[in-house]
Amino acid sequence: MSTIDDNTQTEAPADEAAQVPIRVEHVDKHFARIVALDDVTFDIQENEVLAMVGDNGAGKSTLMNVLCGVHKPTNGQLYVYGDPVEFNNPEDAREYGIETVYQDLALMDDLDVATNIYMDQFPTKGIGPLRFVDWAETYSRAEDLLTDILDRPDIDAHTEVEFLSGGQRQLVAIARALAFDPQLVILDEPTSALSVEATELVHETVERLQEEGITVIIVSHSLEEIFGLADRIAVLYQGSLVDVAETESVSQDTLKHMMSTGQRPAELD
Amino acid sequence: MSVASETETSRKDRLVPVLLEHMIWPILLVTLVVGGLLVPQLFRNVRSFELVLYSSVPLGLLVLAESICLLSGHFDLSIGAIAGFSAVFTGMLVGGCSSCWGLVGDPFLAMGIILLVGGFIGFLNGVMIAKLNVNPFLQTLAFLIIFSGAKTALTTQPVRDLPEAYLLLGRNSTYAIGLLIAVFLLFAFIMRYTSFGQSVYAVGSSEKSARAVGVNTDRVIIMVYVISGVLAGLAGLMLTGYSTIVPPDLAENMVFPAFAAAVIGGVSLFGGRGRISGALGGVLLLGVVQSALQLSGIQAAQIEMAEGIVLLIAILLYNFKEDIRGRILSGEAS
Repeated sequence: MSTIDDNTQTEAPADEAAQVPIRVEHVDKHFARIVALDDVTFDIQENEVLAMVGDNGAGKSTLMNVLCGVHKPTNGQLYVYGDPVEFNNPEDAREYGIETVYQDLALMDDLDVATNIYMDQFPTKGIGPLRFVDWAETYSRAEDLLTDILDRPDIDAHTEVEFLSGGQRQLVAIARALAFDPQLVILDEPTSALSVEATELVHETVERLQEEGITVIIVSHSLEEIFGLADRIAVLYQGSLVDVAETESVSQDTLKHMMSTGQRPAELD
Repeated sequence: MSVASETETSRKDRLVPVLLEHMIWPILLVTLVVGGLLVPQLFRNVRSFELVLYSSVPLGLLVLAESICLLSGHFDLSIGAIAGFSAVFTGMLVGGCSSCWGLVGDPFLAMGIILLVGGFIGFLNGVMIAKLNVNPFLQTLAFLIIFSGAKTALTTQPVRDLPEAYLLLGRNSTYAIGLLIAVFLLFAFIMRYTSFGQSVYAVGSSEKSARAVGVNTDRVIIMVYVISGVLAGLAGLMLTGYSTIVPPDLAENMVFPAFAAAVIGGVSLFGGRGRISGALGGVLLLGVVQSALQLSGIQAAQIEMAEGIVLLIAILLYNFKEDIRGRILSGEAS
């Protein structure tokens, strides 16, 4: 049985493409003479958890940065529900509901949880253009996010982030992404520096995001993590997309083979 | 340990840094009591207390300028030089002395000019640091030297015959103190209740993270230095009113007391933490110490030495505070 997505590497019919939340079509990314991405085409489906794997230099980070607007593709096109889009910066991607939680989390340790979540997008009150931060609303919304969506009432919105554990910090970064009401959240190596307990916490959160109807892309080195969470796995090798496989249809050995050789095994054809 | 007691412990741990951030107030209280006992004329009547406040106004504005820079994770060595140059330059424009240019007749226009000059120099500082990535220490040191030299190049004689209205704000103690309080209240509000104020804290905590979450860090840094420059210009105006002339050495040696007051007031040397109210506490503390020393008949050179000691104490207090904070964060405390 072929595990490759029907839409991968091929042009999708127009009416079908309009149903696809995000389509990456023939995307190349060159840095001077280095080809970081080479003719990558695949779809991201509604409400799935898609893992992105590959060895160092495979192009995972570049592809993630293209999706979240940090890099512009050299060639190729992104589509959101069939419409061609151009992301010149992360704010452009944000307008289409795409949020990224970077590996370093981009938190401000001296500031409290609510301030980190709503930095640069505070709820305001005031008259006309004279707007001021509405702190009561800021803390209330932060507590709602942490309690209702992430189910973590133990994280106090008033606590400075530097007092939180690694797992809690990761959740604050995810909460910040959720504050923009995203359709797609990209998690870059979300558990690379976490303890077993904190990793479990993040996994529970990913499942919760999916329950909330959010599509999640996980960039990760951990195959165990990916097999526990992902619906599909996109394998990259030296800038090319090897395959987008259904998780239940591939073994870890097959995945390792694809990651190390860039070849799809014959049994997948 | 149960979850409840763990939470209780961590809350207690978090309370300690908050108390440390407010330590200026008990220190100020002790200083007031000791100062009042050792130098009774310090608080003999309301007027004596008013004089302490009045003499603190120019320094207070410089402390505020430095505090905002520090909160953004930057600092400004040139605030004293900006205050001095703005005052000399504008004094030459508006003054009636023989060496003055006398180009501006309207004293209120001159008040605007002194702030503009300060703001423009601050803008140059900000652009060099934010856009050209010049190290803030080197950039503001260069401007300290340039504008200290520039004001002496403009005149080696005190600028005199300044219009009464131009001197009014700095000369009248009620206006001067009122202005200081109003400016502190304004910036306390801006820093707490505006998106810009919170962006300053964000840049101070982590410029890289602030940029990643969408804060226009270059704009914030430039704005911080513009504000610092405008406040330095305002300090120059207050100093001019205070002495009614503009000596060429105006505002020299004020930058380190400003640092000391900000740090004693709880503003972090590395940005992201501190309160404007704490900085005001630092101003009051330094004002009381300076007034007590002056009223004790101690010579100017010794007062300068005492200010150095205050700076040293500020640094030691800062280290003590950071040490406790570090111990709490690494779980060694409690």
